[in-house]
Amino acid sequence: MSKSDWNSPEAVRRLAKRHAAEKRFKLVGLGAIVLSLGFLALLLVIMLKNGVAGLDWDFLSGSDSTDATTAGVWGAAKGSLLTMLVTLLLSFPMGVLAAIYLEEFAPKKKWIEWVEVSINNLAAVPSIIFGLLGLAVFINTFQMPRSSPLVGGLTLALMTMPVIVISGRNAIKAVPPSIREAAYGIGASKVQTTFHHVLPLALPGILTGTIIGMARALGETAPLLMIGMRAFVVTPPDSLTAPSSVLPMQIFLWSDEIDKAFVQNTSAAIIVLLVFLLAMNGIAIYLRNKFEVRW
Amino acid sequence: MILTGVLLAVLGLGLVGWFAARGRARLLYTGRGSMHSMPAYHGWHLALWIVVPALVAWLVWQAVMPGLVQGAVFATPAAHGLPTDPFQLGAIVAEAQTIASDPGAVAFNPEAQALVEPFRAAQVKFGLIGAVIVLIVAFAGGAFGFTRIRPNFKARTHVERLVLGVLLAASLLAILTTFGIVASLVFEAGMFFKDVSPIAFLTGTHWSPASTMGDNINNNFGAVPLFWGTIYIGAIIAMVVAIPLGLMSAIYLTQYATRDVRKWVKPLLEILAGIPTVVYGYFAALTVAPLIRDFAASLGMANPSTESALAAGLVMGVMIIPFVSSMADDALAAVPRAMSDGSLALGATRSETIKKVLLPAALPGIVAGVMLAISRAIGETMIVVMAAGAAANLSANPFASMTTVTYQIVQMLTGDQEFNSPKTLSAFALGLVLFIVTLILNIVALRVVKRFREAYE
Repeated sequence: MSKSDWNSPEAVRRLAKRHAAEKRFKLVGLGAIVLSLGFLALLLVIMLKNGVAGLDWDFLSGSDSTDATTAGVWGAAKGSLLTMLVTLLLSFPMGVLAAIYLEEFAPKKKWIEWVEVSINNLAAVPSIIFGLLGLAVFINTFQMPRSSPLVGGLTLALMTMPVIVISGRNAIKAVPPSIREAAYGIGASKVQTTFHHVLPLALPGILTGTIIGMARALGETAPLLMIGMRAFVVTPPDSLTAPSSVLPMQIFLWSDEIDKAFVQNTSAAIIVLLVFLLAMNGIAIYLRNKFEVRW
Repeated sequence: MILTGVLLAVLGLGLVGWFAARGRARLLYTGRGSMHSMPAYHGWHLALWIVVPALVAWLVWQAVMPGLVQGAVFATPAAHGLPTDPFQLGAIVAEAQTIASDPGAVAFNPEAQALVEPFRAAQVKFGLIGAVIVLIVAFAGGAFGFTRIRPNFKARTHVERLVLGVLLAASLLAILTTFGIVASLVFEAGMFFKDVSPIAFLTGTHWSPASTMGDNINNNFGAVPLFWGTIYIGAIIAMVVAIPLGLMSAIYLTQYATRDVRKWVKPLLEILAGIPTVVYGYFAALTVAPLIRDFAASLGMANPSTESALAAGLVMGVMIIPFVSSMADDALAAVPRAMSDGSLALGATRSETIKKVLLPAALPGIVAGVMLAISRAIGETMIVVMAAGAAANLSANPFASMTTVTYQIVQMLTGDQEFNSPKTLSAFALGLVLFIVTLILNIVALRVVKRFREAYE
């Protein structure tokens, strides 16, 4: 190329090459998304194909059994319900109160930094470690009843609390300072400002984070395996200290069965679990879109 | 039974106290500025004075009562001639206690049956004493609180001080949890390292904890194959899947996709992250593993196992995709617009801009994201439990069955063995290693992200 001539064959060829590279790159990106979503679709289709025939009233209302045709999911679902109740009752108030303290009241001191670091780390600690904690503290030290919704709920609450704290802090941070200043201006104390004005405005964001944290806890298996929540439960648990199982654990236990008939049960239980999770996430998204105020 | 009722009674008293104090404070109100606190705060102040001391008394009595009851039972004639062996005695007392609280239960042991009546009597007696004490404390607290209702009394300040204390306690729970994790892991792992030398544990290459009866226990707890399996599955195979797919989808979504596409595809991708790991594990075991076994067989491998590192790693990689994608998304978004605009203005195509300008600029953020993804992958349990296998293999063959740290933790703790054997305790040592490694990965990654954000602000 002697001079810059856009029409010289060499320049045209180079341009064509660059445009082809551009197109290839874009296609690779699209391919990555299609592949990822394809995998999701494959997973859902296989579970539906295997499990949808097993979804009937007997399955939804029955409990575990050694016979695949009479085994049902209600016993485990009730265990999940009780466990989630304990988790919610503990992690929600504690998480919200901690978030309020750290965001509104905490002095800028060294030990507050330690609290923050430890919350951020707890949110990333593998869930199985929380199971080891539950086993060592709740069961071996405090002698609480093994495989009960109480211990399961306590363990999951410790796991869920950091998630709620982090989302709660973000929601509180998003409330503009002018709201607080207006409240101070008419004579409200700091506690009054926080509980009467900041907290209600931050609540939708906090609830969204809570639901997402609870959805994660609902699907969690590994920590519950550590505290022995793999009881063979023929009747639904009727108290917080009764031996029980939970939905993901039921899936795990059935998947271990040698009898091929349990494939249908496992897939059907997975469908039930996924419906719950999708519903929870749907509610979270709805809450976020409906109540979140962009300041 | 009685004590539960007392608790409800105390709460009821608190409610009554709330209304009473508010009513009294309203009577004292004589006009603007006549009182320091609003009437409702006087209500809260009195309610707290009733409930909190009574609650403390209740808790103390709950802790003290079993000892008193037992002492009273042993003093009755029915307790004469009980065995002195503490183990037998404990069993009989525990049985009698169960029957005393649950009328439906039946005694196996006649000696326990004889103790039931004294137990019930003592429980009723001490329950009543406790109830009276708790109620006295509640009334005393209430009386003291009530005398303090005056126009210039700073009820709000007192109530708010308590609220602050509760808030502080809630945020200290996080530190307490971290401390609990570290303490329990270190304590149990310490018991393990009494039997097995840490060096043998960290450098040994032979893992067969089932045969602990051998004379040289150190040879059976070499965890290197587990570390290798964990790294191979979580940090190599899974990342080979997750990094390209996650990164490319993030690039496509941020740089090429229209707004509408982005709005729909991003939540769909996030569904992948929301699916429980046990579902992935089942999918890996049911669908992916047989496919990979058949593929290995078609490559001419003899006797390929159903459980393979590849099956677990692939599925784990898919699980991590949305995580990598959203981290890369954040990192790309943090690069100033001016940098890519400059490159485009010089005539570079979009892909050239991405490869030559955006990616290098976002690299620290992406690397940190990958580190967080690895920390998540090596701590992942259910997929490897269901698809990776139990054999501790030190091999680079992706079709081989391979075990991981998390798999072995589950394996060691879900059997029916006694608690203090080295086999069970080894789970805590493995947990400690896992905790330390993920902690380091997280801290370093968060530091990098923070510094990276600051660089462009």
